[in-house]
Amino acid sequence: MAATEMILNATWEHIVLVYTTLLASILVAVPLAFASLYSQRLASVVMSFANLVQAVPSFAVIAIVVPFLGIGFVPALIAIMLRALLPIIRNTYIGLTNVDPAQIDYANGIGLSEWQIQRYIRFPNAYPAMFAGIKFSAILANSIAVLTAFIGSGGLGEIIFQGLIGYNTEKLLLGAIPAIVLALLIDLSFTLLEKKLTPGYIKQ
Amino acid sequence: MPTQRLFERIDSIELQQVSKKYGSRYAVESLDLTIEGGELLILIGPSGSGKTTTLRMINRMIGPDTGSIRINGQDVMQLDPVRLRRNMGYVIQNIGLFPHMTIGENVGLVPKLEGWDEKRTNARVRHLLDFVSLPPERFIKRYPRQLSGGQQQRVGLARALVMDPPLLLMDEPFGALDPILRTQLQEEFLEIKKEIGRTIVFITHDIEEAFRLGDRIAIMDNARLVQVGAPEDLIFDPVNELVADIVDTKRKFKHMDTLNVKDLMTPLDAKYILNGGVDACDAVEIMKDREIEIGIVFEKGMLAGKVEMVNLLKCEDDRPFLRDIAKPMKVFALRDSVATALSEMKRSGEYVAMVMDGDTVGGMLVSDEVLLKLI
Ligand SMILES: Nc1ncnc2c1ncn2[C@@H]1O[C@H](COP(=O)(O)OP(=O)(O)OP(=O)(O)O)[C@@H](O)[C@H]1O
Ligand SMILES: [Mg+2]
Repeated sequence: MAATEMILNATWEHIVLVYTTLLASILVAVPLAFASLYSQRLASVVMSFANLVQAVPSFAVIAIVVPFLGIGFVPALIAIMLRALLPIIRNTYIGLTNVDPAQIDYANGIGLSEWQIQRYIRFPNAYPAMFAGIKFSAILANSIAVLTAFIGSGGLGEIIFQGLIGYNTEKLLLGAIPAIVLALLIDLSFTLLEKKLTPGYIKQ
Repeated sequence: MPTQRLFERIDSIELQQVSKKYGSRYAVESLDLTIEGGELLILIGPSGSGKTTTLRMINRMIGPDTGSIRINGQDVMQLDPVRLRRNMGYVIQNIGLFPHMTIGENVGLVPKLEGWDEKRTNARVRHLLDFVSLPPERFIKRYPRQLSGGQQQRVGLARALVMDPPLLLMDEPFGALDPILRTQLQEEFLEIKKEIGRTIVFITHDIEEAFRLGDRIAIMDNARLVQVGAPEDLIFDPVNELVADIVDTKRKFKHMDTLNVKDLMTPLDAKYILNGGVDACDAVEIMKDREIEIGIVFEKGMLAGKVEMVNLLKCEDDRPFLRDIAKPMKVFALRDSVATALSEMKRSGEYVAMVMDGDTVGGMLVSDEVLLKLI
């Protein structure tokens, strides 16, 4: 009974961590991608930083956070975010910039303001790529959230580490299996969501 | 947020000493041109002569380096560009429909931004789709890529008209269409022009189109305005060789007396052939797939006549068979004189005729293509 409760608690912690991080990442990444449209310098700084973080192993990203922020939920969240931001920023930026210039020109020609062009032309064009980025980040966050147990984020990773340290196969599996199931569920739910949210012009 | 109407009608558009340079080269140099309210002014000239630049300075998409552009006396540079552009319709060659919006959303976008309520926007969109011969109930929910080129061009026109602008700027609107489709849309556009009576600035490469549609024609060459006037002014009184070259249709017609229909006909492309037993609604779909606006109807191997897309679009009431609604068309023999054939076609306002070799099909005679072959 206690074991079940422990697993449920850990799973819940895991889910909270993953989705809080994802939400925070979207809130940071999307405005950054939009802002990058207006400043070539910002765009290149953001993109090279994002690529750099991508090249560093996840464990190292987690380790580097500790001296600055200590351990616990927030440092874990920041560590995961550092990795999860990239796919969202990159995909959103690419989506926003990959609009046919003739369309932007035409939108200007019929009297759309700058903001209206963002809202009605660029954003809908970027949307499918952006969503793909978010889905990828969700899966990434789920796997890194296992590792952040090392720096005290709690969650399923903690059970896995306890299992590893104590050579306790049962505990190991009790942590690992829900983590795998979660990953599959995230993938599945995003795929369903994607189907539902796919704009009509792509569907038909 | 609604933008205020700038002008109810155009009295004049005055370009005075307008110049625009890119690097050290002039795209437009010292241009003086007055466009009168209610006229359709054609801009024509070689590629790179500055037509598009001129047009885009009128709606401030390009700012002139020097000179002024005044609409009803107001300098466009003093006006808010968004507001200015909402007061004019803009149509371009590659149409620019937004692929992620339905036809209804494309046409209704600016009204929505102007704060119209949904009901009013919807009514306006439907009215305009009807106006350009696209039955709203069938087209309003479709996406641009589900439409043929000619249908998209019609939507482009509907979108430009949606705010009922007193001024239309059109940059080679029919340039990307094949000759038959182009002629067809020109005919329809002439009707539209009659009905709406607004000021239009229209760029084309095609002098036949210019003659057919334009009240006055402005010829540009190498960043400069060379001559502007009614077609007959240009034909009888060209200021230089270039103008003579562009408008001198006489020379093109010089050898025409010696030519037969056979020399200038086009083979009948199978895509134009429709069976008399097909009903009108199915024919619309077939014609859309084949990107044709006109079809030649055959019944049991015999020519039954022609049908035009515009006339078929309202097919839903009784779904007639093509054989019953095909209109008679002119038929010529291989040895008929082209000159006679063309003048007969011109008189009855037809732009395509059949050429028969006895009982078998010889080909089609398309007036525009004949002219092109003569150049
Ligand atoms: N943004 C630009 N930068 C540099 N040069 C330009 C630019 N836009 C136009 N030009 C040049 O200005 C000249 C006039 O161009 P414009 O587009 O007005 O010609 P056009 O008469 O419309 O030609 P076309 O019939 O090919 O459309 C050309 O030599 C063109 O190369
Ligand atoms: Mg041009």
